[in-house]
Amino acid sequence: MKTFLKSFFNIRSFINKIKNSEFLTFNEVLKVKVKVVNWFLVIFLALTITVVTKENVTLNLLTLLAPAAVMLLVSFLLLRLKISRVAMHTTIYTFLLLTGYYLTSTDYFFTYMLFFVGLTIIIFYQDFMTYLLYGGALTVIGVYYVMTEGDGLIGANSVSALSGSYISSLTYQVILIGFYMVFFIQFIVSDNIYARLNNEWVRMNKTLERYQEFTQAQIIELIEKSESKPVFNSNKFQQAVSEIAVFINEFFEDSGDEIAEVVEFYFFIHNKEVDKVIEDQELPVITRKYALELKKYMLNYRSEIISILFDFSTLLQEDKSYDENRYVYDINKLFKNRINKLLALAILYKYLKSEITQFDKWGQISKTLNHEEIKELFLSPEFRDFISFEQVNFYLDNQELFKKHL
Amino acid sequence: MERQDNKYKYSQLEVYKESLESIHIKTKTIIVNVLLFLFALLLIFFLTRDSIDPSDLWPSLFMIFVIIVVNLLFMSITDDAYNSLHVAMYVTIIGIHVITISLVFAFQTPSIFTSLFLGYAITSIYQDQKGMILSSVMLFFAGTTIVVLHPEFLALYQSSNTENLYIYVFLMVFVTLLTLSSFILIKRKAFFYNQIASIKEAEVRNITLMNQMFEVKMNQKNDYSHYYNDLEVFSEHLSEKIGVDSLFKSRIEALRMLKEKPMFEVAEKYPEFTAAEFEELQLLEVEVNNKMINLATKASKSGDIKVAKKDIFNESQFKSFNHVGDSQYTKIISFAVFYALLKVDKPYLKSIEESKLRDLIFNSEYFYRIDRDIVNIYLENSEVFDSIVNDHLKGGW
Repeated sequence: MKTFLKSFFNIRSFINKIKNSEFLTFNEVLKVKVKVVNWFLVIFLALTITVVTKENVTLNLLTLLAPAAVMLLVSFLLLRLKISRVAMHTTIYTFLLLTGYYLTSTDYFFTYMLFFVGLTIIIFYQDFMTYLLYGGALTVIGVYYVMTEGDGLIGANSVSALSGSYISSLTYQVILIGFYMVFFIQFIVSDNIYARLNNEWVRMNKTLERYQEFTQAQIIELIEKSESKPVFNSNKFQQAVSEIAVFINEFFEDSGDEIAEVVEFYFFIHNKEVDKVIEDQELPVITRKYALELKKYMLNYRSEIISILFDFSTLLQEDKSYDENRYVYDINKLFKNRINKLLALAILYKYLKSEITQFDKWGQISKTLNHEEIKELFLSPEFRDFISFEQVNFYLDNQELFKKHL
Repeated sequence: MERQDNKYKYSQLEVYKESLESIHIKTKTIIVNVLLFLFALLLIFFLTRDSIDPSDLWPSLFMIFVIIVVNLLFMSITDDAYNSLHVAMYVTIIGIHVITISLVFAFQTPSIFTSLFLGYAITSIYQDQKGMILSSVMLFFAGTTIVVLHPEFLALYQSSNTENLYIYVFLMVFVTLLTLSSFILIKRKAFFYNQIASIKEAEVRNITLMNQMFEVKMNQKNDYSHYYNDLEVFSEHLSEKIGVDSLFKSRIEALRMLKEKPMFEVAEKYPEFTAAEFEELQLLEVEVNNKMINLATKASKSGDIKVAKKDIFNESQFKSFNHVGDSQYTKIISFAVFYALLKVDKPYLKSIEESKLRDLIFNSEYFYRIDRDIVNIYLENSEVFDSIVNDHLKGGW
């Protein structure tokens, strides 16, 4: 209970989480957001209870405020159970219930402001569909509220009661709709940018993994050629890893026997087919679980740890400074002169045809591309990142010359 | 000791990140200006109503016109697009708030008070950290001034007035939630700008690494000098076929010279090429420059790379020693293996001396890729880690 309360009120950790939110998963960010809204709702509910009118106190408490309090509790519970998405919906319903209570009050401007606060809470979650549905519904209700209660919302300084009513009602409606629409556009813009950046990043990640597969394969071939044993088969290396792991583990638990066994298992699976170990139903679940977790850190293929090591090594690589063409690989963007574009196309063809760039059927890097394979590549959609249809047509028109002389 | 996040990262990142951001901020500037134009149309509509005094709206309309002109001017600057677009953004944010505040003071009604929120919403399109702070501060002060010093603006005609404290509390909630939301969004977006910039540079360096490993394996340097002879023969036949005088000949000769001589000497010999063409020829040179080789290497590996929708938002794409759901043992073992590997000689990376390695882990993004407790244990006990490795691996494995 003490730990639970400590984690519940740990403001510093909460602020740190927000400060480093870019490193959190979507779920963790959502959890932080639901927590913020929950606390706001607690305060809002407490304030609302203090202003309940005496005439209908029982009715108001029973029909609106009590269910809101229960829903708030449910939301806290869902958060504790890590069901953040349902908790998010619960907080929105709780707020809608409280807004429902104020719809019956005579404090019209305050109620109108609640529509903005409601939209703000929904915007806060940054979920497109939630905003589209709940936000849209709230805006429609808000506009309807202004239409029906417009007279109560007229400002004392409005020019005249009659014309002022129309202008005032119109202003309230236009601003609420405008607010909803502007954030709707903001959602589309940010979702679009985010999806594009994410897509590009994933594509680049896959390309990078392909380079690293080749680098790793070359290192394996190099080790085979030198007839030395790979590092994961070295007893000294295994002992060093085991001792480091046991040392770290001492900070978490007294006995190091179990982790030493897992380290042994980690090196053991390097000489087995790890996928078979993972799928073997006869093995204990814990063994298969470790095999699955450790697979991404194995050293005998281009695993996650190998990629991290290669990336780490590039940090220490000396390289040229940035220029505007550094990350440009499209011949049409690199060259304006048409003859230079054709010369670049010829160099590209020459490289693909004469350099060893592919795995052969035995998994060794020893293969070059032939004319037909290059043609297929040139025609593939992926190649539009490098050459245009105009260059492909030039190539197709003169392919015999390419084949014969390059 | 304070961490220095920028100590170990690719030096090219910041400039490329700026260029990425410039592209996006330009799109957002256009959207904000379209919204301002629509806002102006709305004001013109109100202008046509009899009950509105036109002198209350003209200043705002003029201000919108000025903002749009300023934006167009700054957008036309291409030399320093990043800073120009940022200046335009700050001017626009201040301008929008000035417009909404002037409207509130002109009409002095509760209905127009909410235009402050609309103004804030328009500025939020930018999703820029400094812009967001500027906008939040302006909204906060404008709201406070009106609620505290001019409560009569919020007075209602027929019904009971709202307690100003409530309005103020909701203003605070509004500003806090939207600022927090923007902050999280901006942080995530900045993270992706960083990741994209980082991976673009990682690509260049991984191509270099891959080609270096190939040279190590083959025990010889890659030689592309024979390309020019083949290109010359190809050029002759191509020129003959299309009926022109030697299409590539002088260019290939210039490329050969560019390998050994500075550009100005080559330019003297080939006055027919402009400076821009020489810059392009330098990119085509394959023996010293690696642009075409990198391009061709990337092209050779580009076949069949497909991105499924499920991959796009899959967080497991991030490589680390700290995956959610992994057991503590796995986190410890993966780091132990990583550390031990950095302490042995490999074909692509020599063993790293302890003080340098500690500094690298502490002051680079790898700090975040390791479980926080484990990285702290390492940072506090790096000598112990070093001595364990030395006991076993000194002199090789």
